[in-house]
Amino acid sequence: MPEITDKPKAVQVRRTLGKGVLNRGDRLFFGITSAASYFAFILVGLILVFLVAQAWPALQEQGFAFVYGDKWEVTEEKTILQIGPMLYGSVLIALLGVLLATPLAVATAYMIVFILPKGLAKLSTNLIDLLAALPSVIIGLWGVLVFTPIAQGWAEFLHQYLGWIPIFATDKGTTSLNSSPFIAGWIVAVMIVPIITSVTREIFSQFDRELINGALALGATRWTVFRRVILPTTSGGITGGVLLGLGRAIGETVAIYYVLQLSMNINLFQILEPRGGAIASWILSRFGEATDKEFQGLMAAGLVIFITTLVINLIANVIVNRAQPWRK
Amino acid sequence: MEKVVPQPRPAKQPWNKTSKFASFSGRRGTADAVLVLGSLLLAAVVFSLLLSVLWSVISTGSAAMSPQFLYQNNRYISTTTSLDYGGVGHAILGTLELVLIATALALPLGLAIAVYLTQSQSKLRNMVRAITQALAGLPSVVSGLFVLSIISFLGAQKSGIYGAVALFPLMLPTVARVAEEALRLVPTDLRLAALGLGAPNYRAFFQVILPAAKTGIITALLLGLARVVGETAPLILTIQANNGTNLNPFDGGVATLPTYIYGFISAGYASSISRAWGASLVLLIIVGILFVTARLLTGDKKKKKSKASK
Repeated sequence: MPEITDKPKAVQVRRTLGKGVLNRGDRLFFGITSAASYFAFILVGLILVFLVAQAWPALQEQGFAFVYGDKWEVTEEKTILQIGPMLYGSVLIALLGVLLATPLAVATAYMIVFILPKGLAKLSTNLIDLLAALPSVIIGLWGVLVFTPIAQGWAEFLHQYLGWIPIFATDKGTTSLNSSPFIAGWIVAVMIVPIITSVTREIFSQFDRELINGALALGATRWTVFRRVILPTTSGGITGGVLLGLGRAIGETVAIYYVLQLSMNINLFQILEPRGGAIASWILSRFGEATDKEFQGLMAAGLVIFITTLVINLIANVIVNRAQPWRK
Repeated sequence: MEKVVPQPRPAKQPWNKTSKFASFSGRRGTADAVLVLGSLLLAAVVFSLLLSVLWSVISTGSAAMSPQFLYQNNRYISTTTSLDYGGVGHAILGTLELVLIATALALPLGLAIAVYLTQSQSKLRNMVRAITQALAGLPSVVSGLFVLSIISFLGAQKSGIYGAVALFPLMLPTVARVAEEALRLVPTDLRLAALGLGAPNYRAFFQVILPAAKTGIITALLLGLARVVGETAPLILTIQANNGTNLNPFDGGVATLPTYIYGFISAGYASSISRAWGASLVLLIIVGILFVTARLLTGDKKKKKSKASK
């Protein structure tokens, strides 16, 4: 007679739970929850379909130059809609923001997990999460009235002493260094620091302490532990967090709208020069008095942001999920 | 990891809290000190930025605060009217209204997605999770454009309801994610016990799992609200401003706090900027209340859990 154990039985019971033997109530229950879940796909599909439907005439008329050209002219005779400088500006500002935010966020996460005592660590975590919950219109108001005068001082300092480096140079005749990609980059950094911090903190806090203790026992210093043990194993997950921040930065609208001088005159790398681009803010600034054709162009711009951020976020989430196996 | 240089080292520096700051001497100690001080310094930058935001809003905003600022509406108020008249009462009501409509859409759907992700055995779960996470990164302006294109497709007039619909896709992923975590915290044994007693899945959910995860679900709701209550871009695109109080979501413009702030910053006069700061303070207080309540709820639950396990 074969020996009877508990385990296979338990497994078998669980397997029959979801399938086959469902009564009517359960079929309805799972039917509704599945329908709700498929709705998430439908929602993404609907956004795509509606944006494409509205943007199609503009995209067809403007051709591929829509993405790289630098003219936005709406007159009676002709309509030229091109968003090159805005698209480039969005990427520039997002990269600046990520460049500033990543060290800040990783340092904050390191401090929270490895330095602070428990109570303070919890308080810091909550404060950082509160920063993430601040509405962007408030950050924008603060950015233009409080932060810009301060950052203008930093910009003048950089320009005065490091102006010989091309990225800190400005055009002839530029007097005040506000409304620049530099300031917009800082504002974006303020908004994405919490995103990168929370991903990094989560990964750091689940880090195997045995590995750290082992390295220390081998004679490593705290710096060597961070550089050679913690960073190599967690850099993948941190990259995912950074990508999440990048996606947020590219879609940021209102805050950048206040602190940046939008200009179709492309600003390639002079980050202190008061002109730049941000595609989402461009939509906001043109939307008010847009003609029908221009409206289609703005929809097309929205489509570009949507696809860009969707791709970035999908990749970012795959990376983050892989780096946080304990979440499953 | 092999690259760790094994160097002899006095054994008096274990990785524990008491001796953390005791060992910053010598060349090796310098590197450690730079790491610790550097991370403290960079974190201080982050916190001073945060505190600067909070402090500016609180100090400047409270100057505009007065009882009538909270309950009056904005009728007959121009951008240069002194702060003795007019307020954000209509915008507070409008914000609450739109956010509640968005919640009525997002909460059931988000909860259903969370249930699907935790209770069903479907193979599509990972894809659903991935798409929900990707939706969490949906730029708010895109959500606004999406609803705007629906409005132009239907040939409808802009009204409050479209603003609420534009908030919904932004709220859904937050609710779904937090609710999923809440449902995940309920021990599987509870569910299996209910099923073992012969309860169908839906009764096990409504009578056992949902009550057990109640605070978690409320947290999901609060964080979802906090996520959308300050959203500006979608509302600018989909609703019309209104200086009076209008609680009919199907007709006419609706004032909301974010669009109120946006409008008064753009006007640019000293008194209009004060109004924007005042409204920001109101918005900040609302976000703060939602956020702190959510944190207190989760804190309580974790404490209870750890007590129960002892």
